[in-house]
Amino acid sequence: MPDLTTFTRNRCTSVEQIDDQTLRSSCRLQDTLTDAVVEVQVKLPDLEIMHAAGEFRRTYRGACLNTSEALQKVIGVRIGSGMLKIIEGLLAEVTECEELAFMVEECCHAVILSFTKGTLKDIPESPRDKKEFYAKMLKENTRLYNRCAAFAPGSSIIGDMPPPK
Amino acid sequence: MLKYARNKMTNVVIKDAGTLAVHGVLDDDIYSLEIDVTIQLSGFKILSLSGKWHRYTTPDCPRAIPLLQDVIGFRIDDEGFNQAVHKIIGRKACRHYANLLIECCDSAKEAVLIHKWKNARKRHPDLRFADFINGEKSESALSRVSASIRVEEERRPDERISTPKEAGSDVPGTKPSSGFTIDLHVHTYPASPCSSATEDDLIQEAKRIGLDAICLTDHNFVWDPERIRALQGKHRFLILRGNEITTDQGDILVFGLDEDIKGIISIESLRQKVMAASGFMIAAHPFRGFLTFDAAHLGMTPQKAMQKALFKQVDALEALNGKVTPKENQFAHQVAEGLNLPATGGSDAHEVFEVGQYATRFSKQIQNEAELVEALKSDNYEAIAYRKENGFD
Repeated sequence: MPDLTTFTRNRCTSVEQIDDQTLRSSCRLQDTLTDAVVEVQVKLPDLEIMHAAGEFRRTYRGACLNTSEALQKVIGVRIGSGMLKIIEGLLAEVTECEELAFMVEECCHAVILSFTKGTLKDIPESPRDKKEFYAKMLKENTRLYNRCAAFAPGSSIIGDMPPPK
Repeated sequence: MLKYARNKMTNVVIKDAGTLAVHGVLDDDIYSLEIDVTIQLSGFKILSLSGKWHRYTTPDCPRAIPLLQDVIGFRIDDEGFNQAVHKIIGRKACRHYANLLIECCDSAKEAVLIHKWKNARKRHPDLRFADFINGEKSESALSRVSASIRVEEERRPDERISTPKEAGSDVPGTKPSSGFTIDLHVHTYPASPCSSATEDDLIQEAKRIGLDAICLTDHNFVWDPERIRALQGKHRFLILRGNEITTDQGDILVFGLDEDIKGIISIESLRQKVMAASGFMIAAHPFRGFLTFDAAHLGMTPQKAMQKALFKQVDALEALNGKVTPKENQFAHQVAEGLNLPATGGSDAHEVFEVGQYATRFSKQIQNEAELVEALKSDNYEAIAYRKENGFD
């Protein structure tokens, strides 16, 4: 028998700017068992969630059927460092639908990555300039040090640089 | 026009009676990667994991691939699995691989449910998926109860919540004449699972570099005053208690409140509790931001930031924090000045060598927690770069 799939999932998350001060981030999930969408609107410049809505059109999880009220808990949360603990904590108080929290987090990560994309557009082409670019980025943001394999001691970016003080 | 898009796809195939094969793809405007995971069907153990980059940002991103092997043998149904993946794969290798691995393992668990249901249907052809799931839920609820009992039994006695009691009144400071310097923001392990430093090691280092005291501010954790007293006696050093409490508006350093707060509390509710206890609240790292861009990229100015509702609910801002960028600290200083709120300093140490990076210098000696709260309310102190000032940089 051919290797037929038992389970298939597609998840698409996208961010659009709906006006100068507002971003809309949407996460759509469609898999063998679930069909759901979550959308958050975020106000600039402090990246505060101003609006959240969602719907589980198909799910076997009873807790995920009514999520609109639960989503109101994340309104006012600021996207940024530490947000996962806040989002998971707030939603865990009102719903057992863990997928809902994950979808909100995916929306928030996408907002951050949309700005990261803007920063990365400035990376120069030549390897030497590229290395200088990352060294400058690290100097300005010491949190990058040892944040992942690329910024770990021994990498071409970090070399034998000591931990930033 | 879209500003950013990410697509993730996972497929799960049951290869034989004992193995699941999961293929995952993550493709977005910045990265393109894929992984293949095999998982033991009966024990949910990860048997193999391989990854492949198609697009990435730094020349060193490929260094992440060999590190993926660190999760081989992990059970994907363990309660802390996702956290472990974030910590091991996300921090050591790459957070995008961590994200995709979690997606793949979640898909594998869903596939197993379908597999079990199909097997059950061989015996009960009319069994509906929803009815099968209800039966599974009862079983997993029972196993969750057993797991939580085990966790409770394994907690150390000194991790338990204490009754409010003053600590530290018998340990005087040593350098009243040159000010009294306290690192107001320190995390210890295991009270803060994110820390790697034991309280003994942190205290020894704080003494070595000449701090007058440290405040243990573990996340949503109330230290037992008896334990603090014992540590003070052992090290002959002033140790004070605080608490870093997660609110819906971010982390708040709280002093003078003994209530054990779990979960996420609203900033307004916390304010009420702290005021009732005559305590003190500091907005911790109020502008801790992002990895590759800062507040300026968003068009944030100190004037706009001053309007945040959060700052109406706190008594001070942490304007020197060891986990944020110099720009973010400078921004916090500007906002504190603009709001006429006091500024404090704390290392936010999670490693021994970090303690004392930043601290708060008070004008007079402090001997206990009540005096600390009184001193914080006096506004007679300054945030300082302690290690740098004292040649420990």
